[in-house]
Amino acid sequence: MSVDESPVDDEDRYRRLLDETEYDTELGLEMARDAQRVSAGELSEVEFYERYHDRLVEEFAADEREVDLPDPDDVEADDIETGGAGFLDRLGAALEGVDPDDEESRRSVMKKGAAAAGAMGIAGWGTAQNAAGAGEGDGATGGGDGEGTRWGMTINLNNCDGCLSCMVACSQEHNLSQGANWMYVFAFEDEGQGDETNFLPRTCQHCTDSPCTKVCPVGARHTREEDGLVLTDYDICIGCRYCEVSCPYGVNYFQWGEPDVPESEIDDDHQIDDRGKWVGSRPPEGVMGKCTFCVDRQDGQMGEEKIGTTACEEACTMDAIHFGDLNDPESPPNQHLREYREGQGNDTSEFPDRKEHTVSTFKLMEERGTEPNVRFIGNEPSPHAEQVEGPVTYEEMGLVDDRKEVLDDGAAATQGGESA
Amino acid sequence: MSVDVTSVDRDTLVRPIEAFSKKYLAALAVALGLIGIWLVFYYQQLRHGLIVTNLADWGSGGGVPWGLYIGAFIWWVGIAHGGIILSAAVRLLGMDTYQPVARLAELLTIAALTCAGLFILIHVGRPDRLVTSVIPAWPTRVQWSPLMWDVTVITAYFVLTATYLALTIRYDIHRLRDRLPSLLDPVYSVLMIGYSEREDEIVERMVWWIAFAIIIMAPLLLHGGVIPWLFALLPSMAGWAGGVQGPSFLSIALTSAVSGIIIIAAAFRYAYGWEELIPDAVFRGLSQWLGFFSLIFLWLQLQQVITGIFAAPTTLQHATEVKISTPLYWVAIGLVLLAMLYAFAASLRPDLFSVRAMVALSVGVLVGTLAEKVLFVVEGLQHAHFSLYDGVPGAYVPSATELSALLGTIGIVALFFLVVSKVIPVVELHAIEDDHEEVKP
Repeated sequence: MSVDESPVDDEDRYRRLLDETEYDTELGLEMARDAQRVSAGELSEVEFYERYHDRLVEEFAADEREVDLPDPDDVEADDIETGGAGFLDRLGAALEGVDPDDEESRRSVMKKGAAAAGAMGIAGWGTAQNAAGAGEGDGATGGGDGEGTRWGMTINLNNCDGCLSCMVACSQEHNLSQGANWMYVFAFEDEGQGDETNFLPRTCQHCTDSPCTKVCPVGARHTREEDGLVLTDYDICIGCRYCEVSCPYGVNYFQWGEPDVPESEIDDDHQIDDRGKWVGSRPPEGVMGKCTFCVDRQDGQMGEEKIGTTACEEACTMDAIHFGDLNDPESPPNQHLREYREGQGNDTSEFPDRKEHTVSTFKLMEERGTEPNVRFIGNEPSPHAEQVEGPVTYEEMGLVDDRKEVLDDGAAATQGGESA
Repeated sequence: MSVDVTSVDRDTLVRPIEAFSKKYLAALAVALGLIGIWLVFYYQQLRHGLIVTNLADWGSGGGVPWGLYIGAFIWWVGIAHGGIILSAAVRLLGMDTYQPVARLAELLTIAALTCAGLFILIHVGRPDRLVTSVIPAWPTRVQWSPLMWDVTVITAYFVLTATYLALTIRYDIHRLRDRLPSLLDPVYSVLMIGYSEREDEIVERMVWWIAFAIIIMAPLLLHGGVIPWLFALLPSMAGWAGGVQGPSFLSIALTSAVSGIIIIAAAFRYAYGWEELIPDAVFRGLSQWLGFFSLIFLWLQLQQVITGIFAAPTTLQHATEVKISTPLYWVAIGLVLLAMLYAFAASLRPDLFSVRAMVALSVGVLVGTLAEKVLFVVEGLQHAHFSLYDGVPGAYVPSATELSALLGTIGIVALFFLVVSKVIPVVELHAIEDDHEEVKP
């Protein structure tokens, strides 16, 4: 684009481009002008969205395509304004969803979209398309947009007694090698709490803005669009371990040697998800693994009744782990938090500005901007907290804490074909 | 300080191609031996997996997932990038003094980049997927993953350097063809496809522009860009994140590369009696550059240490304290410091200078930069912000398998020079014949 091109020239150019399509030229240009006003802050995204929603649906539906744009009345301002889940991204995703066999109409829709996008100067257009196409968007997926399913947990640290049953259940269900503790329970002491031992069960946080998916060079680590699960495609992963070094929580466990449980002993149902990708159970050698939030259960492979449950949650007898759809107000994690708060009411009779409950909640290292989908009830460990031996030791439960010991043994005995 | 080597004749130039000695065979045997040792170990790794290394998971795992392989990868890339920067600078700035070592630097770049690529191959858990996974993912992932930027830029760089070398070799082969072994005629025929003397002038212009591109790319994208970004962009590790990594990596690349060139140039000079072709003045100049780059390296280390201990956040402070209490770190700093002091002292008192001492100090610098880079990777991973794990900081000492890869790659570089010097002149004809036209783009 030459520098001396005036806005008028631009508009003429887009008008010609839009004229070539079978759709409403005026609508495109009007949207373009208003989009510029949005950029300039003269018009809110919500207003913009509401103004064009009906006309857009009408325009695109005229071609009998399904364009899944949400009803403006059902949309909160927050939903539109958060991250990549805005209106334009959805429009991009909707256009991406147009029947690929219908080349003619697809092309014209894309052309129109591109013209409108060009007029608006939307740099994110290509990104939204790619995110939808690659199924690994950084925000535009079934994650934090308040729509669809978003699997997550509420873990009540006040209830956890450090019995490690969750770790055992996880290890067994996913056929993990010794020391690959997808679920890991910390026992720790903190400053100013004397000898009191606290516990913190740590799964993968299934972050909505997960650093591991961003850095993966091959897209093996990805966010599943339908429910926000952060998974590893074992068929693609090259084992570079960049996800592991980028994760602030240390939840990744690489398969350094041959897995303890051979492939032949694991049913495909537990390994292949509903998209046909190999993401479940323990990883094969040379590939990265981590907590999957029991993706096989969520896909109904273990029966309808197991959907919305995890192995660790099921094993927990202390009512500490609550798994479910964070977008559903009635799901176990939301319900538990609500009820727990209701049971810990604050005395507002004298100080009406106090909040209604005394329950403290946190997400791990929330300031890192990863938007974890696991929230904890209880006190966050301070930087001075130190891990200690809990009432039940890992050894007692047949678990290995420090995996390096297993790996070192394996390295020393490779000639004998040891596994780890 | 310009040196005239135009009195040297063409026979001297092609001496490595014609000469054959027991020493050459011995060197060849050593290089092949080093590669052999590595292959034996690597076979074990292929058979049993990365469990044969001393790498492990960070977090509850009590180890580090990246170690010597990644440290050595950065080190080789640094040598490669620094090498080509120097060669490009010679062309762009007309630093004729260094013309006798320009091609050696280009060859070093090719060899070192190959070794860097090898380290990526042996670092990953599934090397068989490097092509099948990376190529289909490229169009979507290159927008996001620093590792993909890395692969992209290094590949582009390799192509650029190889093109550069291939273009400049044609001029020499054409004029020296009668002195080159007829046994290799098929190789020369391929290298000379479509050559005519009319292209010389055009090639000179093209090479100038390639050199220009390299000089621009190097600090922005290569060792001042994508390589440090692999680490600098990750806020989860206290010792890694931050903008100082770009300049710091670049200074290490240049320091290592000058050292590498000093060693290789000295080896050729010693083996083929090239005192006239690569005179002392070249080494004096290179050692001054080494002194200067070492100073910048040390300055950037000082920056990191001071900001890391004065009033840094807890985890960065801890990482820095551990770094400065690690004896190996001070060995690395000491080796670079020593080279710097010697280079500066020899500039003030020229009689202090000896090529032999400079070579020894250059080896020291290479040991130092490798140690610094491995420590950077490992210690960076040992001090995560999330430090509740008892297994953090983890433990790591490279295994025999990992160390063998280092020997193997050194063997590969040696083998590369031994073979290439039998095929093409490793010093360009322009160095001894001043008959080419100055290029004015």
